[in-house]
Amino acid sequence: MISSRKKKYIPAIGIPALLIFLSILPFFVTDYIVSLLLDILTWVALTESWIILSGFTGYISLGHSAFFGIGAYVMAISWMSLPYPLIILISATSSMALAFAIGFPVLRVRGPYFVILTLGLSEFAKYIFINYEVNVKGTVGRILLGVPPIKTLYFSLLVIAFFTILCAYLIQRSRFGYGLFSIREDEDAAESLGIDTGIFKWLAFGISAFFPGAVGSVMALRRTYIDPYSVFDPIVSFQIIVMAFLGGMGKLHGPVLGACILTLISEFLWARYPHYYMIILGVVLVVIVKYLPSGILEIVGKLETAIRFLRTRMGCIF
Amino acid sequence: MDYGRILQIIFTGCITGGLYALVAVGLNLIYGTMRLLNIAHGEVIMVGAYIAYWCFTLYGVNPFLSLLLSGLVTSFLGLIICKIIFLPMIQTGKSEETIQSNSLLLFFAISIILTNVATLLWSADIRGYSYMTKVVQISTVPVMLNRLSAFLVALVVSIITYLLIQKTMLGKAIRALIQERTAAKLVGINSNRLYLFSFVIAFGIAGLSGALLSMIYEISPFMGMPYTITAFVVIVLGGLGNIMGSLIGGFIFGLVETIGISVTSPGLQSIISYGIFIAVILIRPKGIFGRGL
Repeated sequence: MISSRKKKYIPAIGIPALLIFLSILPFFVTDYIVSLLLDILTWVALTESWIILSGFTGYISLGHSAFFGIGAYVMAISWMSLPYPLIILISATSSMALAFAIGFPVLRVRGPYFVILTLGLSEFAKYIFINYEVNVKGTVGRILLGVPPIKTLYFSLLVIAFFTILCAYLIQRSRFGYGLFSIREDEDAAESLGIDTGIFKWLAFGISAFFPGAVGSVMALRRTYIDPYSVFDPIVSFQIIVMAFLGGMGKLHGPVLGACILTLISEFLWARYPHYYMIILGVVLVVIVKYLPSGILEIVGKLETAIRFLRTRMGCIF
Repeated sequence: MDYGRILQIIFTGCITGGLYALVAVGLNLIYGTMRLLNIAHGEVIMVGAYIAYWCFTLYGVNPFLSLLLSGLVTSFLGLIICKIIFLPMIQTGKSEETIQSNSLLLFFAISIILTNVATLLWSADIRGYSYMTKVVQISTVPVMLNRLSAFLVALVVSIITYLLIQKTMLGKAIRALIQERTAAKLVGINSNRLYLFSFVIAFGIAGLSGALLSMIYEISPFMGMPYTITAFVVIVLGGLGNIMGSLIGGFIFGLVETIGISVTSPGLQSIISYGIFIAVILIRPKGIFGRGL
């Protein structure tokens, strides 16, 4: 009884405490740590937003890089002409608008077809932007000057990541969320029970596209130079999936954990073995999928069961 | 547009299409039998291309000979990957969705590893070599000899694959596995052995087509992704799991792409290809022959 009540209080105190900790942390650490935290927040936001569609409904999307890229381009085009927070909002909204515009026909496609289609769509978007740059503007990429300091970017991403997680959490708890889960379990059955699966998927797709737009627009300022190849990189989509799977998609803290772990591993490898970094990353990925197919949380879950077992057995000691 | 130009477009389209068909067959074989989407397919092609490049520039070996070596090396790669990674995963008896999503990750990891090993070995530069660049005239159409001969080899390999799938007992077993997996296992088809077999064949054909492509196009460690996408387009056109469909789909895609480029501009090639792809998947996701899985 006590433990369950305790569990209820942990998030109520822990989350605000963590937020306060993360907001004052940048003033005490070096810029390197801040940029590392910024990377983690980026991936947390991207992965958690991906979960809203792909984790909840089981429609594995490789289209997140397109939304990321569009966010980045909106920022690149309107930087200096509009206030900074407004641009982020516009970027996010335009990503969402695009998702809503293409959502209905795209989400009619199921299973592996959906996976390939979203990959194709994001590559299509990439080439349209490449064509726009080369043939219309006569340029390759864009340089952003006078970007805000890294702490500002950090706080923007902290806010974005927080709202992404909040949004995913609220959806997960709502009737809407249950509808999405039912699509994952059995779409036809869900439809026959009166769930308008079309609208549900469409909404989830749009909401899930909102956040990568915002992240992309902040990341354009972080990188200071963008071109279609780098911001529409399909690796972004793949990395999101890797993180989500790594952490396990069953719970909301899984992807957060996955994003943290993979970013830290990459950073560690990148600093020490720059030439072998990607190869090692690939091998790590194979090992994880092969031996931990349900994600890192599986170990945590097993440990919890073991501890609970020990406690009931030796209740007097603990 | 005059007659000669039309003939030229059709010729180029067919040659590109023949190569596309070969590129796509391997992907379709693995998808058909195992329901796994091999997103590392293009990287296997890349490995084959580099082997042929190496043989040619270091030892002066004729690419038509080294394509056999490319095929052997990549099919060996397929054997190892399938034995170590995929067969154990399939045998765990997890649900189909779990296996599908996990395999997507595994293939992604394999593609990262291959790309980066290639970058280490051969640097990230774009390379190429010229071989048989003589131009021959077929009636009124001038064709580069290397393209023509690559096309002919692709055609031969495709026909062999066709005969293998359509005429032999092994091919029958594979088709049975593609059509109805559970029933195929029930009547005593050794699915694990066939999985291994289709992996080896698919990787082998991919390596071989890589060697052919290296004669015509430039190669780089990052050339894989566009070919993976092309292969996806082709097998979606022909229907996932439909081996014959993907051979025909390759020709159709090659033709449509060439026509599209010739009426617009070469710079738009990627947009046209992806556009066709998206249109097909949205309008006819079961492929143009309507007999997908």
